Amino acid sequence: MKKLLLLLCLCLLLVSWKLPSLSKISKAKKGAEMVAGATHKITEEEEYYIGRAVAANILSQYSLLKNKSLNRYLNLIGKALVLKSDRPEIYGGYHFAVLDSAEVNALSAPGGIIFVSRGIIEMAENEDELAAILAHEIQHIVSKDPLQAIKSQRMKSLGTFAAGEALGSSSEVLSIFKNSVLDITGTLLQKGYSRGQEKDADLGALDLLVAAGYNQDALLAMLEKCRGIEKKKAKAFSAHPSAAKRVDYVSDALGKKSGKDMSVRFSRFRKNVSR
Amino acid sequence: MKKKMCLLALLAAAAWLLAGKVLIVKVLRTQLLAKPDFLSNNLATMQKAARLELLETQGNWYLVRNANGSKGYVHQSSVSESKVSLSGIMPGKKGASDEELALAAKGFNEGNEKQLRGSREYNFADVDWVLDQDVAFAAVADFIKEGKLK
Repeated sequence: MKKLLLLLCLCLLLVSWKLPSLSKISKAKKGAEMVAGATHKITEEEEYYIGRAVAANILSQYSLLKNKSLNRYLNLIGKALVLKSDRPEIYGGYHFAVLDSAEVNALSAPGGIIFVSRGIIEMAENEDELAAILAHEIQHIVSKDPLQAIKSQRMKSLGTFAAGEALGSSSEVLSIFKNSVLDITGTLLQKGYSRGQEKDADLGALDLLVAAGYNQDALLAMLEKCRGIEKKKAKAFSAHPSAAKRVDYVSDALGKKSGKDMSVRFSRFRKNVSR
Repeated sequence: MKKKMCLLALLAAAAWLLAGKVLIVKVLRTQLLAKPDFLSNNLATMQKAARLELLETQGNWYLVRNANGSKGYVHQSSVSESKVSLSGIMPGKKGASDEELALAAKGFNEGNEKQLRGSREYNFADVDWVLDQDVAFAAVADFIKEGKLK
């Protein structure tokens, strides 16, 4: 029995001795790779904190509409869509909110905070159209498009700190953080995403709408409305490329009809979205 | 002969411990579900860094066992594979790996946000309001059913 216990102890010692050495090799290898590449890869937790700061920056420029029943309705639509997406669970979860602005606008901050303006909600005529707007924004989060707005130089600097080549002070990291937030906010509020990113979000939104049981035609209907008001400079949702071009490729991509019975959705839209 | 058998069993057990995959919850909170379906019953709510034993993979879902011994499903987007599986099973060190801690310290984190709080350019109070207005999975399930969605 004693011998067996001794053998067991030896086994465990061997294991505990072996693991750290493997871990060290792995760390050294990873460190070498990071120094060579030196570009910081943003973790989901970091995406969450950048997203909170981007949202906070947007909410310093726009008022939040604190209508709890409308907000709950929007979150139920959004979450029904999210469950069918390629990224259903993210660090802090998805959250949807309304900006008290007459602009026709929708924005997605990194980490899943999605804003729609009062103006774009008023433009939607039914739940499926509202779902189409949210589906488009969810696709930007799934593709991590907001993070791609961060200038690559900032991630290289952060990567260098993380690799331990040059220890940055907290003020240096804070500066990179603030500038990254401004890169994203600038893209969301002024510059807009690239044509390719918008097209991918539109086509992904069509798939998401079908997967969730909503009517694909709703996206086309919203884009046609955007085309109608494009001269009035509708932001973000219709910014880039032009709504007319988006109507063309979305029309081409439309599949079979879905979302057959809309009666309950019509009535709950009327109940939750006051005119 | 008996001793040899016992020794073999011990070695097999050590090998199993080394081979067993441990998953770590990487989101703030997630649910242990009765079926590989977000709308199925919630068996337990798990917080970030909770360790789960991987039992089986089914498409985008993992069948796991949590620390309380409950078996259920988690979606692959909510967990990551632990690099050192023994640390979750053996007594001693728990929590994030050295690499995770290093990145948390040097990357973007809550500390950055704390330094921005109070600035006019950042309205975190309203962000917190937005995050507080959450809806439960059960409510989403009812909403889907009522609206004849999928």
